[in-house]
Amino acid sequence: MNRNRILLKNVDLHYSSVAFKERSLKSLLAGMLSLKQSQHEIHDVHALKNISAEIRAGERVGLLGHNGAGKSTFLKMLAGLYPISGGTRVVEGTVRSLFDLSLGFEPDASGRENILYRGLLLGLHPKFMRQIEDEIVAFADLGEFIDYPIKTYSAGMQVRLAFAISTAVGGDVLLLDEVIGAGDANFMAKAKQRIRSLIEQSEILILASHDLSALSTLCERGMVFHHGELVYDGTIAESVDEYKRINGLP
Amino acid sequence: MPSRYIRGIWASRYFWTHLALADLRSRWRRSFFGILWTIIQPLGLTLLLSVVFGRIFNTSIVEYAPYILSGMVVWEFVTASSINGSLSFVQADAYIKQCQHPLAIYTLRTVLTNLIVLLLASSSLIAWVLIVMPQNFGWAWLAALTLFPILALIAWPLATLLAYIATRFRDLPHALGLVLQAMWFVSPIYFEAKVFRGGDLHVLVDYNPIYHMLEIVRAPLLQGSWPTLENYAYCLGLIASLVLLAWLVGRTAEKKVIFYL
Repeated sequence: MNRNRILLKNVDLHYSSVAFKERSLKSLLAGMLSLKQSQHEIHDVHALKNISAEIRAGERVGLLGHNGAGKSTFLKMLAGLYPISGGTRVVEGTVRSLFDLSLGFEPDASGRENILYRGLLLGLHPKFMRQIEDEIVAFADLGEFIDYPIKTYSAGMQVRLAFAISTAVGGDVLLLDEVIGAGDANFMAKAKQRIRSLIEQSEILILASHDLSALSTLCERGMVFHHGELVYDGTIAESVDEYKRINGLP
Repeated sequence: MPSRYIRGIWASRYFWTHLALADLRSRWRRSFFGILWTIIQPLGLTLLLSVVFGRIFNTSIVEYAPYILSGMVVWEFVTASSINGSLSFVQADAYIKQCQHPLAIYTLRTVLTNLIVLLLASSSLIAWVLIVMPQNFGWAWLAALTLFPILALIAWPLATLLAYIATRFRDLPHALGLVLQAMWFVSPIYFEAKVFRGGDLHVLVDYNPIYHMLEIVRAPLLQGSWPTLENYAYCLGLIASLVLLAWLVGRTAEKKVIFYL
């Protein structure tokens, strides 16, 4: 009996242009003084256009699309970070998102301390974090480095730790944005296994990636985005074909 | 909606307390005196100022110094909370872009950090007054403690309001420096209230919330008397109006902040 689901009806999302236009006093004065109009008018960006979809518990969805197609915006919209400008968005269940993995790390604190800090960022109780600490340490498998400051870690080690923490905590809806590429082959195998076990607990996974083979192994359903529109929604194999066709890939 | 917002703030309490403590840790990392700087800094400046002002206004340094010190630590809290507070969202952009916590926790973090600094800094004030004016010690000092929650409740909505605006208009923190300097000049912070009254400027004292805010700590510590009800009324009025303003602006601004980061 799992009621986690995502229901989107005609969702629109605009980035308002005021947000990225120059908006200092200097540019305002300069704009008033210069007589000619700027040739490059900046408009609101219509980042998601009329998206309708339903995703049920247990589904693993891969998002495909060229850079700027709207994959990340779609994920952040689902996470409730971006306000939608039209339509309805229903997301039932707690959302766990992995967008920026090195976020929330304190470089001078040890890996073990950072496990706690990152857990706090995710809104968890310190007691609970201490309970699952050993499990995370074991999964990240950093050896004695777990007690070293994070700033001594390589990028790959940071990602391993972040992945271990973020996936140790069950969320009903897991949103991943291009995070699987990091880590060595050994860890990749573990990471994939971990994601599988997360989905087996009947949770929703939505993964945006350009790694077509990873998408094909992890996901069953695919959604293809093209210039902010959802142009295809079907099985992952068909979606990969469609994605290749639209973008003229071999 | 407001109750859900407040629940969100409470639910993430471990996160923002951690952030505030991390701020404190990083501020004094690798410095010899470390957190003691919060005490040394205002104390040193007070000594300097009271020698100069004591000469100019012909007042005794011993009694004028705690007046300046009380003004300094409180004003330092107000400026730090409003200027750093206005940058809170910009500073926390990485968190805001990844986690959906109520935005007010990021200004709360700034206010909390500054409040801890204020607590430490005011210990030097208390020590000074106990040594120089021990006759002032009494039950009224309990009233001085109410300054901390009052200041926090003033600074938090103020910082939140400013942060909403400053994320959109990045000129604000710079302009704020100017405005605060102006407010410092027209308020009895370093200059004694009687100087203003003597210059027929009692308006700047009687209707100035900053004066009433400072009286909450100055009346007990420097005069050994209780703050008046009027002092509290001004502070509560200020809190209520700031909360209302922050709420009104936040109703529409809260969701849009992420676009401006």
